[in-house]
Amino acid sequence: MNVSAQTGANKIHRINITPYLFILPAFLFFFIFILLPVLNTFRYSFFDWTGFSDEVFVGIKNYQELLKDQTFLTGLLNNLKFILFFTFLPIIIALVLTALLSRRNLWGRNIFRVSFFLSYVMPMVVVGVVWRWIYNPVFGPLNTSLKSMGLASLAKPWLGDFSLAFIAVGIIATWVQYGYCLTLFMAGVQRIDESLYDAAKVDGANEWYQLLHVTIPGIRSEISVALVTTFIAALRVFDLIFVTTRGGPGSETIVTSLWLYTNAFQINRVGYAAAIAVVQTAIILLISYFLLNRSRGQEEGD
Amino acid sequence: MNIRKLLNFVLVFVFVIGVVSCTPAAPVEPAAPVEPAAPAAPAKPAPAAEVTTLKVWDNFVRPAETAIMEELIKNFEADHPNVKIVREAKSMDDLKATLALALKSDDSPDVAMINQGESDMGAFAKASLLTPMNAYAEKFGWYEKFPQSLVRLNSWSADGSKMGEGNFYGIPIQAELIGVYYRKDVFEQNGLQVPTTFAEFEAAIATLKTKGITPIIFGNLDGWPAIHTFSEIQNVMLGSREWYDNFMFTTGTVNFDIPENLKAAQTLKKWAEDGTFMANFAGVGYDDAYQLFSAGEGAMLLTGSWLSGDLAASPFIENIGFFVLPPDEKAGYKLTVGGTGFAFGISAKSKNPDLAAEYINYLYSEKTAQDMLAAGFLPVYPLENVEISDGLLADIVAGWNMLNTTDSVGYYMDWVTPTMYDTITASLQELMGGKISPEEFIAKVNDDYVKGLEAKGIK
Repeated sequence: MNVSAQTGANKIHRINITPYLFILPAFLFFFIFILLPVLNTFRYSFFDWTGFSDEVFVGIKNYQELLKDQTFLTGLLNNLKFILFFTFLPIIIALVLTALLSRRNLWGRNIFRVSFFLSYVMPMVVVGVVWRWIYNPVFGPLNTSLKSMGLASLAKPWLGDFSLAFIAVGIIATWVQYGYCLTLFMAGVQRIDESLYDAAKVDGANEWYQLLHVTIPGIRSEISVALVTTFIAALRVFDLIFVTTRGGPGSETIVTSLWLYTNAFQINRVGYAAAIAVVQTAIILLISYFLLNRSRGQEEGD
Repeated sequence: MNIRKLLNFVLVFVFVIGVVSCTPAAPVEPAAPVEPAAPAAPAKPAPAAEVTTLKVWDNFVRPAETAIMEELIKNFEADHPNVKIVREAKSMDDLKATLALALKSDDSPDVAMINQGESDMGAFAKASLLTPMNAYAEKFGWYEKFPQSLVRLNSWSADGSKMGEGNFYGIPIQAELIGVYYRKDVFEQNGLQVPTTFAEFEAAIATLKTKGITPIIFGNLDGWPAIHTFSEIQNVMLGSREWYDNFMFTTGTVNFDIPENLKAAQTLKKWAEDGTFMANFAGVGYDDAYQLFSAGEGAMLLTGSWLSGDLAASPFIENIGFFVLPPDEKAGYKLTVGGTGFAFGISAKSKNPDLAAEYINYLYSEKTAQDMLAAGFLPVYPLENVEISDGLLADIVAGWNMLNTTDSVGYYMDWVTPTMYDTITASLQELMGGKISPEEFIAKVNDDYVKGLEAKGIK
């Protein structure tokens, strides 16, 4: 089966269906277990439902309530603030480390790469539990070492402190994400033609200049993938908050996913939780679409 | 938008949905119908030779807890040769998340442990998922053996709107109360006695501070421990039970904004700031806090009797006692936060409700209570003339008996509206962290309560 040639006026007459047959099983799985529940969630958001009794149709009432919901809005703001710790800091750290580790015969380079990546592959719940212990003000290693160095005044109740809890949790997020970005970037650097670096060196460029003007532009697509996935991670973070602070102290670290969980499983408002899910997904989609399209445009322009 | 851009958008949508859906599971099981272990035989109405299966869900998951439950089940099966109990133990969070759908399914457990309060027992009552046990209560004489205040807490009107009246839905077997664990040796060394009034308690705190000993070990990173601490102070200020009864049963005659609650908030704030609690308590988890006390830190620990089993591992156990927080001298009476664990109830879909009731009757009996006590657990069933060698448990049982004879078993106020738990945990953290004033605290909590009343159509 061949595709007939296209000319300016002619379009494709016969479509090759073989590729579609290949992806059909995977697509069916995707459809039944992912797409269908997503569409169902969208449907539930228009109902008032406890999860086990009868549903009551309420139209867009859930969404209207959501717009005025202080807890949700605070959560959303926190999600956006977390972008600093999930996206920007990890990417910057990863770029610097990439420059240090790539393109040279550094002994133990692979050991570094693997150990930096380990933080990303650990289950988030485990990460949360361990860091909760690290931050323990009485016997956690952070405060114990601060006290032994004579800096007892800096030994704060990290996760319970109103000014510091958000940053403390953010640091954990950066610790998790930077290894992932680093791995992406180091793979990307290997694609860059060495002659570009040679040309730059001939022009008298130092390491810093090479990083800014050769490496970073060269791994632009990896950076945009990192941007999108870390953005999504920041917007849907749940396990980390659940295990460390549960949204506290007060509502300093509450995020939209946590509020969704509370509504669905503790307050028995599954319809409202579905509305939260829909809004969350819409925001993620919007940002992702914007980011991915921008990068594609830039690539085509190269 | 041309076809290319549309396809573009769809591909992005699919990619993002795929990524977003690739979540590691949240720490709680998703609420899907759960398949318990396959029963030996289908549960038909049993002629004498056939085995009837009873499916039971409970939350006795800790090692000592599951051991006692398994033993109780073994004894029941020994007395009832043609009955087989198929048991599933689930943690509190798991039980809460999965029970609703399980009760709705045809594979529902016959007997399950249900959390009291509007979000659980009340909601299940409203959805007609539970069998009312009033007839069984009459048959087995439960009303005589069960404190009246507890009957009210486990009863809901048929439409699930009002707690305290109507249908009786569950019997809890494990009791709990909030009190003060204290180090007898530390008290002795500093010339302190078990306080009999709240003023004496505060004086003891002052003395301990001057000696450089942390008066109360406390950790509020988890948010909820402060509810118990606050409620106990509240109970002292109230000096009677009338307000709390009306508050918890949403009669509409009271709200949260009363001077006694303000005084309690001010006292709690003072304790948070003047060194009554351990340093940096805001960043310490509940489990970490009691471990610290167990390891020898501080003089007192204000929390629930449920820790008695775990404190037995402390090297200082010989010197750990328990007293109920004393009332204000003038009032001479106070409620004490307490109550029970989850209640055993019968699913509306059970095919063997009579057998289920018999099982529950067995669980709430003198023999079972004695077994529980021997294993270090506080039973709800009122036992008289019991010999307890374990000093700490003896203190706790004495406390529980005192509460029952003086009719002063109090309440967990986070039950009162579906959103109260979140509101009060956050507000207490803000109060103790100096972010809101006691007046603002009262206003926030009252706001939640009034909204809860309005949602029920009560003004």
